[in-house]
Amino acid sequence: MSKIDENQIRRHLKTLSQIKPTSEATDRAMERVRSVLVGKQQKRGSKSTNVWPVMKRPIAKLAAAAVLLIAVGYAVGWLTTPQPDMEQLKSALETSLRASLIEEMNNRWQTTFTANCVQLKDELQQQVRRDLTEFAAQTLAASNTITEQRLMKLVELIETARARDRQQIAAALEKIEYDKQLLGNGLVALAARTSELREIKQD
Amino acid sequence: MKNGHGKLLELLEKSGASLHTLLTRLTLREDVAEELVQELFIRLTNSNELDKVENLDAYARRAAINLAFDWRRNQKHNALGLNRLNEPASNDNSPLAKLVQREELQEILNAIEKINTPAREVFVMRYIQEESYDDIAKQLGKTPHQARALCSRTLSNLRNILGSNNSGLSGKETHNVED
Repeated sequence: MSKIDENQIRRHLKTLSQIKPTSEATDRAMERVRSVLVGKQQKRGSKSTNVWPVMKRPIAKLAAAAVLLIAVGYAVGWLTTPQPDMEQLKSALETSLRASLIEEMNNRWQTTFTANCVQLKDELQQQVRRDLTEFAAQTLAASNTITEQRLMKLVELIETARARDRQQIAAALEKIEYDKQLLGNGLVALAARTSELREIKQD
Repeated sequence: MKNGHGKLLELLEKSGASLHTLLTRLTLREDVAEELVQELFIRLTNSNELDKVENLDAYARRAAINLAFDWRRNQKHNALGLNRLNEPASNDNSPLAKLVQREELQEILNAIEKINTPAREVFVMRYIQEESYDDIAKQLGKTPHQARALCSRTLSNLRNILGSNNSGLSGKETHNVED
């Protein structure tokens, strides 16, 4: 902006003086400030509660006197009470201590057991798994041995059967050979007989 | 006798709206004025000298003026956010004319910012709040004649600042117009 003369300055100042915010903005601003002030006052009131103005009231004085009387009565009663039996007190104390000790120990055991329960469970599970694996291995080994034995027996049985079959075949072949020989002899005898008959016929 | 909190609540009801208006005129932004009103009352609440103040209204007004110019000092390139200028500077309502007018208003306020604090307070009370010299004198503990003379010198000084050159607006010197 270039040079401004006094009239322009006055005119701008006049414009500035006639600027007005919206009523909504003003209300909003005032409400904000009001809430801040009230909040601060409440905070301050809750922080510093002065006791002495309350104490100046008559009822507060009466209450204070009553408290003082009660305190004096308690003190007199405590001073005038006979001394308790120490043995009885000791025994009662011992019983109470024992009971509380037992309870404490139970609680500790319970706590320790609860804390170690998970660990014990894990260890037990691992142990069971190891045992099962070993048992499975042993069972498998035993099963293999039995299977081998049975296979050996089967092989022996097969061999025996084969030998018997071979023997029977050999006997049958021998019988065939024998029969063949008998047949040959019969044929030779037949041929000789036939020759004899032919010669006879020719004669 | 009222305590400080009661006085501030009374001040809020009585002068809260005018303080918000003053801050809006000096910042040209309603939202900033809203924040600054709250800031002003928080500062007043935390002030230990509140009980010693005779004229709380004038005290709050001066504090508001200083708060607004502190804000302006921190906002080197603040943009105009105010849409309500009740009386345009010219009859030309074109966007360009409005833009020029807003720039000129910013320039005026920037120049006022360079005036020293007591003179600035008097000047704002007189020319932006349009208070009478008698009221200004009462609020500041001066005579009306002194207030008038201070305003006159401030106006002259402002004219020099604005009329000297463009770069003068960004300078940091403070113009002392007091006696």
